[in-house]
Amino acid sequence: MKRFLSPKGLVGIILVTLIALVGILAPLLIPPEAATAMDMTARLAPPSANHLLGTDQLGRDILIRVLLGSRLSLEIAVTAVMISIVIGLPLGMVSGYFGGRIDNVLMRLVDTLLAFPALLLALTISAVLGPNLQNTIIAIGVAFTPYLARIVRGEALRVAQMPYVEAARAAGTTDLFILSRHVLPNILPAIIVQATISLAFAILAEAGLSFLGLGTQPPAASWGLMIQASRDYLERAPWTALAPGAAVALTVLGLNMFGDVLRDILDPRSK
Amino acid sequence: MTYVLNRLLSVILTLFLITLVTFAITNILPGDVAMMIMGTQSNPEALAGLRETLGLNDPMLVQYGRWVGGMLTGEWGDSLIFKKPIAELLSQKIVASSIIVVMSMAIALGAAVPLGVWAAVHRDKWQDSVSSTTALLGVSLPDFFWGIVMILVFAKWLGWFPSSGFVDPSENFLLAVQHAFLPSLALGLGLMAHLTRMTRSTMTGILGQEFIRVARAKGLSEGTVVWSYGLRNAIGPVITIAGLQIGYLFGSIIVMESLFNYTGMGWLTYQALLNRDMPLIQATVFVIAAVVMLTNLLVDLLYLAIDPRIRLG
Repeated sequence: MKRFLSPKGLVGIILVTLIALVGILAPLLIPPEAATAMDMTARLAPPSANHLLGTDQLGRDILIRVLLGSRLSLEIAVTAVMISIVIGLPLGMVSGYFGGRIDNVLMRLVDTLLAFPALLLALTISAVLGPNLQNTIIAIGVAFTPYLARIVRGEALRVAQMPYVEAARAAGTTDLFILSRHVLPNILPAIIVQATISLAFAILAEAGLSFLGLGTQPPAASWGLMIQASRDYLERAPWTALAPGAAVALTVLGLNMFGDVLRDILDPRSK
Repeated sequence: MTYVLNRLLSVILTLFLITLVTFAITNILPGDVAMMIMGTQSNPEALAGLRETLGLNDPMLVQYGRWVGGMLTGEWGDSLIFKKPIAELLSQKIVASSIIVVMSMAIALGAAVPLGVWAAVHRDKWQDSVSSTTALLGVSLPDFFWGIVMILVFAKWLGWFPSSGFVDPSENFLLAVQHAFLPSLALGLGLMAHLTRMTRSTMTGILGQEFIRVARAKGLSEGTVVWSYGLRNAIGPVITIAGLQIGYLFGSIIVMESLFNYTGMGWLTYQALLNRDMPLIQATVFVIAAVVMLTNLLVDLLYLAIDPRIRLG
């Protein structure tokens, strides 16, 4: 419990809670039209009482767009990570538990996929399917799957060799039952930790994809898109880049710190 | 020797699998190359004709065979957007990117190893916190954000480095390095984090061991103990992580080269993806995956050379 209250852990928990709250509440409290409301008299206006973080090239309030962007970023990251779990978990479990030829074939495929940089894989899938919100989620989810499958496989392999699994097998329990009742609960902590860290990477990936125009499309309030739009006005209005950049950084920082805390609590072996 | 031979065999198999995956991903697309060449408004008959000439009506397996066969014989085809042979484009761009890859790795290692050692030596003191916070900041900010900050500070405000473009090193080496510096620095910052953490943790483990105590007891200077005795034993895992990061790096150069308009592999891949230049997409995606895989192999072999203990295993 001592570790749980370390300053770093505390900051992580506070950041994650705060961002989750903003992601949930912002769309409820801010009318959606506010995100695209243009104030043509105040284009690229510096931070002021009217616009706390200034405005962008179309006179849109940056604070409002950053706040609303949290929902989009989190939605994409959470769904993408869920996709990678839905595909990667059974793959990794089957591979690690059964071992042998199935394991060889599956892991050979996973290793091949790991040769493709995750961002390249995500960009390619998104470009080929046509960039939009849904395909961005699919692209990131698929790109992260091999990493998750690898970790799940390692954990499943470890649990499969435990005496209680052997005992269950000797007692004639079916593989399906062992997988769902013995293996799954015991690998869950590792998966939760990995999922948290994946969330951080998914946020970065979404920002990267959108930044390149192969992710979410305008006029969505996406942090990556906002940073991309800021490129042409960097000298005149640096806040247009700094605000969404800081939002990405705080979210990823929080998730990484939170992931470390979770690892210490859930996975004592890693100490 | 058996180990090396086994690795080589597995390389060939993996290369084959990489071609399969590349071909599969790029063929889930609803449209096709003929449509991309002629546009969506084109005459259906002409489109059908072109499909026939390009062999797009052949079974997938035949198309795949033709693609791999072409690559094996050096017939990589032409890019649709650049109207140039893909092999020629690739060979130019790979040189450009290798400058960035080498420079960013050097920057990352050059910063991460001392920082990690420093943290390990002063474990749980303020130095350790400074080091781990720096590392955490490095991973938490998207590298293109670092890139933007660097353009703003070093190119626009200070005017020390150019903000975009690529110069061929054979024409002007110094200018080439200057153009590659900012993107490399931005990439290096992102890479640094894991390397620092890894150096710190392996170094902490090593410094707690018996032979370090013995070295100290012999009266060797602290510098020799840490840098010569300690680091030499700790560097292996750090190099492994650095090798694994090559994959990450090749993903990041797509963003960074596009941001800095640095015309290397990443930029080429981006142009291919943006314009759906299918032959070029296939070629760049395949080459990047192959390079990543081969680098990992090289790192393994290097590790073998550095650490003789592995050879016995």
